[in-house]
Amino acid sequence: MDELFDDDGAPRPAARPLHEFLERLGPDELAARQRATELDILTMGITFTVYSDGENIDRAWPFDVIPRVISGREWDGVVAGLQQRLVAINRFIDDLYHDQKIVADGVFPADLLAESVNFRPECVGVDPKYGAWAHISGSDLVRDDDGTMYVLEDNLRVPSGVSYVIENRAVTKRAFPELFEGERIRPVDTYTDELDRLLTSLAPDGVDDPQVAVLTPGIYNSAYFEHSFLAQRMGAELVEGGDLMVASDDCVYMHTTRGRQRVHVIYRRVDDLFLDPEVFRADSMLGVPGLMRAWKAGNVGIANAPGAGVADDKCVYAWVPDIIRYYLGEEPLIANVPTYRCMYDDEREYVLDHLDELVMKPANESGGYGITIGNRATEEELAACAKEILDDPRNWVAQPILSLSTVPTLVPDHDPPPVEERDGDPLPVLRARHVDLRPFILTGADSYVSDGGLTRVALEEGSLIVNSSQGGGSKDTWIVDDPAHPSAPTPAESTQSQRID
Amino acid sequence: MALLLSRTAERLYWAARYLERAEDTSRMVLAFGELFDDLPPARSGILGDGRWTALLAVFGNGVTEHDTLSENDVAQRLIVDPDRPGSVASSVGLARENLRTTRELLPRAAWRAVNDLSLFVNDEVGRAADRRFRGRVLRRVVDDSRRLDGILTSSMTRDDAWEVWRLGRYLERADMTTRVVGVRAAALMAQDPDEIAYDEVHGMGVLRSLSALQMYQRATRGPIEASQVVKFLLFSDDFPRSVLFCLSEIDRCLERLTDPEPVRHAVVEARSALLSTMAVADDGADLDDAMDWVQSLLAKVHHATTDRYLSIGG
Repeated sequence: MDELFDDDGAPRPAARPLHEFLERLGPDELAARQRATELDILTMGITFTVYSDGENIDRAWPFDVIPRVISGREWDGVVAGLQQRLVAINRFIDDLYHDQKIVADGVFPADLLAESVNFRPECVGVDPKYGAWAHISGSDLVRDDDGTMYVLEDNLRVPSGVSYVIENRAVTKRAFPELFEGERIRPVDTYTDELDRLLTSLAPDGVDDPQVAVLTPGIYNSAYFEHSFLAQRMGAELVEGGDLMVASDDCVYMHTTRGRQRVHVIYRRVDDLFLDPEVFRADSMLGVPGLMRAWKAGNVGIANAPGAGVADDKCVYAWVPDIIRYYLGEEPLIANVPTYRCMYDDEREYVLDHLDELVMKPANESGGYGITIGNRATEEELAACAKEILDDPRNWVAQPILSLSTVPTLVPDHDPPPVEERDGDPLPVLRARHVDLRPFILTGADSYVSDGGLTRVALEEGSLIVNSSQGGGSKDTWIVDDPAHPSAPTPAESTQSQRID
Repeated sequence: MALLLSRTAERLYWAARYLERAEDTSRMVLAFGELFDDLPPARSGILGDGRWTALLAVFGNGVTEHDTLSENDVAQRLIVDPDRPGSVASSVGLARENLRTTRELLPRAAWRAVNDLSLFVNDEVGRAADRRFRGRVLRRVVDDSRRLDGILTSSMTRDDAWEVWRLGRYLERADMTTRVVGVRAAALMAQDPDEIAYDEVHGMGVLRSLSALQMYQRATRGPIEASQVVKFLLFSDDFPRSVLFCLSEIDRCLERLTDPEPVRHAVVEARSALLSTMAVADDGADLDDAMDWVQSLLAKVHHATTDRYLSIGG
């Protein structure tokens, strides 16, 4: 299905003003506005970094000017579902590092926990504030043909993309100022205030004016732009491991022009295995020796908490509906994609018999790496995938191939009109391209969900791979309120609606 | 008071130095290009032009006595070649890279100004070897560098980051002024008798290359005369590109930073060395050596700054 048009080709209600506007604009002007946004992105220095790109490590952010539109009423339902989901997941993580009641009660299998590569025994018994571990998560949502919105995966370790949500909006406002005047499009740039509030709340008790630092792996990391952006927006320090040290008082300090200064909260964008060479990987140059000591002593808040990744695993994912029922006694408000767990004989046999109808995913990869899409793979690729599954069934899950929804997207015209019938270069054309959506969920004392999120788009016809590291683009996401039917809670109230503990 | 990480301070300091270097180099190439137009044709014949080669010497840029390079070669080296340290293209690129990695410190418009300049230089610098287009490229570099100063002056908190930025700027500027004075003014005072008629034209070129012509004229209200020009550029209390002025500003930056004593000590040394060169300000060859000496003391200020503020454990 298409996000902007129904099956008869008529614009959906929330997309009607956009559609009328684009009709009036015409293809020449639309192409001009797309070009203007590309220039804007270049001069604003909105970039992402590609590892294998030789010397040119800093690339302009790929962006398509046509926004994706979601009605405010639908979005409020998604928000409730995501809040519920993350509250339950945080309860689950906290339980795993304490009494493991969910295992004792037979709801979550003990052997799965025993084999988890993301369970950190070093975190057992630690009590982070509010019982919150996965403070910042970026769950990927997709919409299937029947219109159902599914959570595809929960990214609980160091999810990235939120800076582009805010930048995409800034760029789109300049491209279509006329639309923002007339429509009720929810703003997105309050996210950094919410994040700042959350991080500040993680400071040790009794600290009045906490010093927050964003810990980046460094300037060559693919998300460095975002680390810098968030530090800038929050007035936090952007630090690398070498800037920090843990002193004999088990407190964290940073080296400044005024000597050592205390750090109270770290928003770490470094994988937890690299956080502290005293405890985890001894060869890590990205971390800070003694950081775990400081955290356990309650002298520094860390988001996301070390060990939170235990729930970010494509196997654990399959249990999330049970996790929600177990901790909250509620039915999930947002759907999970049906997931086959290759660790179980019957489910694995089903997968091996239906490889060409499924997507096979290794449990601990991200960024779209290692995925085999059954109906697009060759016989050899499927055979290789089957072998990998049999070699390490615990590491594999499979899901039905969802047909992701589409949004019209400007792409080069592969069959342009002859030169004599056009004026200059061929204009780009609007074609349906598949999208997903990554909203950002903050969980601490309260929970908050970004209005919309990062819409990623697969620029190749028919492709389902939306990752920017693999040639995907992005779009602005509009949550549009209908003035006649304003959504029930105002955004400010909806941020306060759920408490953990 | 906002804090400043030592590592970030180092990047900011270098961003300031590279940007100042790009600006100063651009202005110098512009000014001397105009100067050479006013002089009689070069003596060295059709292919090479000794005057352009001499310009390279200002930058201590690996020229030997025997090299005679064409205007185009010199423009390539000083402006276009991105791999040549100190070229305008390389300095702008490094200023951008250092600001890219410190942009959380600066007003956003500052990053945009430098990023914009860098994009322009990447696209257009190749054309700067062509005399007709060169002015456009170089003036843009000068203008944008000053635009950045304006953005920071009008919208940046006076915190440690601000002082480190100014420190980098003034140290680079002091260094550049000593280079111009050393090489060019020495040449000016030791010139061929048959060029003596162009004394004033030469002096104007030196002043222009440091944006100093108009202010010199207002200050002296006299003719342009070599030793006066040198004194103005070295010892003026209130002209913001004179070496003495730059050192005073550096000292003022240090006053506001924490525990500056080791660096201030190096500044005091550089300052007394500078003042002692007053005696040789009329003698070309000695002046060149004296400027080398001052430069070595400016380098000590740089090292003291690095040790104290720009490295961990300082």
